Amino acid sequence: MSRQPEPIFTANERDILQEVMNIGFGKASADLAEVIDIYVVLSVPEVALLDASELAGYIGGEIRDFERISVVEQSFMGRFQGVALLIFPSEAGRKLISILGQEDEQTALHSVALLERETLMEVGNILIGACVGKLAELLDDQIAYSPPRVLVEDDPRETVTRDMFNPDSTAIVMRTLFSFENENISGYLFLITRNESIAWMVSALHSFMERYE
Amino acid sequence: MISPRIFEVINIGLVILDPDLTVRHWNRWMELHSGIPEAGIVGKSLFDHYPGLNTTRFTKNCKSVLTFGNFCFFSQKLHRWLFPFKPVTSFSGMFDRMQQSCTMGPLRDDGNAIRQLFISVQDVTEVAAYERRLVELNTRDPLTGSFNRRFLDSRLPDECERHKRYGRPLSLLMWDIDHFKRVNDTHGHQCGDEVLKSVAAVVGSELRLTDMLIRYGGEEFCCLLPETRMDTAISVAERIRACVEAHSVKCGDEAIRITISVGVGELDSDSPYQEALIALADKALYEAKTSGRNRVVAQPHA
Repeated sequence: MSRQPEPIFTANERDILQEVMNIGFGKASADLAEVIDIYVVLSVPEVALLDASELAGYIGGEIRDFERISVVEQSFMGRFQGVALLIFPSEAGRKLISILGQEDEQTALHSVALLERETLMEVGNILIGACVGKLAELLDDQIAYSPPRVLVEDDPRETVTRDMFNPDSTAIVMRTLFSFENENISGYLFLITRNESIAWMVSALHSFMERYE
Repeated sequence: MISPRIFEVINIGLVILDPDLTVRHWNRWMELHSGIPEAGIVGKSLFDHYPGLNTTRFTKNCKSVLTFGNFCFFSQKLHRWLFPFKPVTSFSGMFDRMQQSCTMGPLRDDGNAIRQLFISVQDVTEVAAYERRLVELNTRDPLTGSFNRRFLDSRLPDECERHKRYGRPLSLLMWDIDHFKRVNDTHGHQCGDEVLKSVAAVVGSELRLTDMLIRYGGEEFCCLLPETRMDTAISVAERIRACVEAHSVKCGDEAIRITISVGVGELDSDSPYQEALIALADKALYEAKTSGRNRVVAQPHA
């Protein structure tokens, strides 16, 4: 098998992506508040270009202050493709139950653990969809999503050491800190772009700039 | 064009909705399972026929799809179904509604703008039935049909959590069969099994719908009583004790009289942990045993 050629992603392109994310996440959080009544603040995102082998160390380092975590993992597929990881402190599921409404009806029917997982999954699905969707919209792409999965881990370091990526591949990692305004919950969102879509990303970023030049 | 006919033959329900949730398309699968012909629902709001869907959760998910173009997944685990259809598989006995896994997503025009949304509906009743069976195998004691220890270990933390969050009371009865070893020694182990089954059945029939009977191990059982304070728990305990005493177990030609001793504990808000609750009930059971058996003893908080 021939190794994929090293993707070229310059500092300039990184700046453009940073800007696209600023715009996209800004719109995502505005629409979440206006349309769905979910009030979430997304911090200024960061972009890093990493080898797959460095991913676990990078994410592990970012979340080292969390004791127990819940992770919502969801793959997205378009020309823009990869994995979204939403990392919450473990008590978040409980605090978020009311965010989608109908607490009483739901809690009566289900075990607390199931309800928390499903709530994380639904809220995570919307948050990931909002952020990925807005980026894709700005870069003129269409995305399909796989169902999200929830992982609950006692040790955050265990979560991201699994071989989620081809070890030869390179990923663009986009990181943002989010916090739910009314719920006192914050966590991290990582968008990890697959190697295969980096070439597309570069050209999409340039066409994005052309529209403004 | 023949290809659009896929909508009418595919074994999945497909619904297409306008942004205001007016139905635009209702495929043959939906017609067959709902009994509503496409002509009877197209042009109407989805909520006209399915007012149960008009919830905050559902409309938030619709808005999210229309705004962000994401997909929403309505899992069978949480929602069981979106559309109340009759089950059609041979597992219908287990469920009064078809179990569904549904996905909602955007439909875009050539300019990439979101114009409509679709809902796909998959019948997962069979999978849900197998899963339920597996859960049962995993949580039931095969001899008596009561819950097993594994169930208690997973459920009790949940119930303690509910107490911590909502302040709901929770009581536990710990009980065992008096002189059970003597039954085995005198009448044999098969007869011992009959006694266990029969006593569990008598106690089970005396419990309320929300109470849970659990075989803790050997001849020791417990009853988990959610939403129950000490005084009510004591009367439940007294009732099951009296019923077992009044009942005789048939074993071959013999009728064996059995009694049980019961310890009662209520979850203490100062120490709302499963270990503490079990310890309270256990201590009470020990006192019931040492003070003569066939009786109920309640252990107040320390």
